[in-house]
Amino acid sequence: MDWQLLLGQATANGLVVGLLYLLMAVGFTLVFGVMRMVNFAHGEFYMLGAFAAYTLVVKLSLPFLLAVALSVVLAIVFGSLVEWLVLKPFRKDELNGMIATIGLAMILQNVALLTFGPDPVSLPPIATGASTVLGVTVANSRLYVVGFALAVLLLLYAFLRHSPVGRGLRAVVEDADIAAIHGVRARIYYPLGFGIGIGLAAIAGALMAPLFSVSPFMGQTPLLKAFMVVILGGLGSIPGAAVAGLCLGLLESYSTLFMSSSTADMLIFILVVVGMLAFPRGLIGRGEA
Amino acid sequence: MTTQVIESKLSPVASAPAPAQRRSPWLVPAALAALLLAAAPWMSGQFVLHLAILACINVVIVNGLSLIDRCGQLSFGHSAPVALGAYGSVLLASGTGLGPVVSTALAAIGVGLVSGLLGWVILRLRGVYFVLVTFAFAELVRLILLDAAPITGGANGIASIPPLQVAGLVFDTRERFYALALGAAIASVLLMVWLFRRPLGQALNAVAANPTLAESTGLSVLRLQIVGYMGGCMLAGIGGALTARYIGFISPESFNTGASVAFITMLVIGGRKSLYGPVLGALVLTPLPELFRGAVQTQHIFYGAALILILRFLPGGIAGLPRLLHKGVAK
Repeated sequence: MDWQLLLGQATANGLVVGLLYLLMAVGFTLVFGVMRMVNFAHGEFYMLGAFAAYTLVVKLSLPFLLAVALSVVLAIVFGSLVEWLVLKPFRKDELNGMIATIGLAMILQNVALLTFGPDPVSLPPIATGASTVLGVTVANSRLYVVGFALAVLLLLYAFLRHSPVGRGLRAVVEDADIAAIHGVRARIYYPLGFGIGIGLAAIAGALMAPLFSVSPFMGQTPLLKAFMVVILGGLGSIPGAAVAGLCLGLLESYSTLFMSSSTADMLIFILVVVGMLAFPRGLIGRGEA
Repeated sequence: MTTQVIESKLSPVASAPAPAQRRSPWLVPAALAALLLAAAPWMSGQFVLHLAILACINVVIVNGLSLIDRCGQLSFGHSAPVALGAYGSVLLASGTGLGPVVSTALAAIGVGLVSGLLGWVILRLRGVYFVLVTFAFAELVRLILLDAAPITGGANGIASIPPLQVAGLVFDTRERFYALALGAAIASVLLMVWLFRRPLGQALNAVAANPTLAESTGLSVLRLQIVGYMGGCMLAGIGGALTARYIGFISPESFNTGASVAFITMLVIGGRKSLYGPVLGALVLTPLPELFRGAVQTQHIFYGAALILILRFLPGGIAGLPRLLHKGVAK
């Protein structure tokens, strides 16, 4: 067995999965940072993003890139509306807000079940063939996904770092009251922050749709992984979520070289619990307890 | 009227049952109605009995969840102790040849030990972090049950579990099992009522209300929460063992996230602050699926909407309704 080859493939797979976790976890932690609310419906928005891409590509035969862009815009609008109409009374109310998002998740998942049926569907691959990067052979469709995900992250970084709206959002995450004193209108940033967090979940769903099958139950696992990632990275910390997401993806991918994936899941759970006890505010980030 | 208002403001736990000298005039009618309700299933056919048994088991399990919640921690993985109790009881009985009662008792103790150890580690976490870890733990338990196929049967689960047998009396008909389940439900409610009249219950309330203050008055928050968590998990384990014996079939999918969500829904809709909330929640929500038979999705959408609406407009749950109505009339 060629170890170098195996390791290279594992790294490539780990990066794809890690980017998925990263997108999910950054959105999740952004929502928590703005609203102090654990969003149990995050996985359902991932699923809706994938279904939106599926509908736009297969039913309306739009090009994939346009479909992803459209589903993200739809997700941001829909997310803001949901925040404004449903979640508004639960802002800053950690426990009740969390239970409310559980209700939201139940509604969304079952509406999707009624609309799309329980059977998984799939998208046509966005690219065929494979290329060799640094001696590792990777399917082109995966390369595209990695490219898009990185582009999204760069955009998000630029938006949060340099645009006035992004700076306002970061101020609200940092401290909503002080931000309000300085003239940041929190009223707008709650729906916006939720919408952008949801939008990131939808991008993750839409990008992964051509790689995995699309079904109403597909949101469960990414949600669980997002929990793990934000616990490791510190709730509310965006850089923490980014680093921990990539690490978790790579760790899972490498561990499947040595053990079964369920053994790996158990070990990672233990690692997360130990990590959380040793570093209650996150291993990497400076999360808020 | 004013004295009543002052009294209700003075009493620290407004929802606790009134002391003996100040019984509500509704107590006797309510007790009679409860008695009638408890006896009715025996006279209403197999289908109602089936629902009544499930409701009673859910009362036991949700009481466990309520006990944990009353220590100030919300468990989002309550299906885990239920699954451990169910599998523990069945596997102990089939593996060692012990009687169903002994194996159930041993399984409950086992669940208590496991949750005590786990609690000792994870109860140091607060709020959201605790919720996330319990959620992850429940997923882990489900994965282990799926993975250990040689012992647990994996995804196929364990079928044809023999019925419960106590000293020659076999609980194989619904009529008999209902008596058992009703007994368990009443015992769990009485346990809760008794516990929260004792100093230990008061201490648990204090920990939930303000952990820092409780700690500074000499209560060990961690130790009290471990006690509450162990008790809650053991109730769940007993509920799980009863489910296994009644249905006769268990699989990891019987204890998935959906089950945990259902328990939380029952607790919240029934009323988190009241001792009778779990009972009301289990009684109202267990038969509800029958209204939506053949339309599981519609049922779940209804659950979700009910959850959000109750949180928004009736934070005390159904158990808070009389108080709210009373206030409305008094105004």
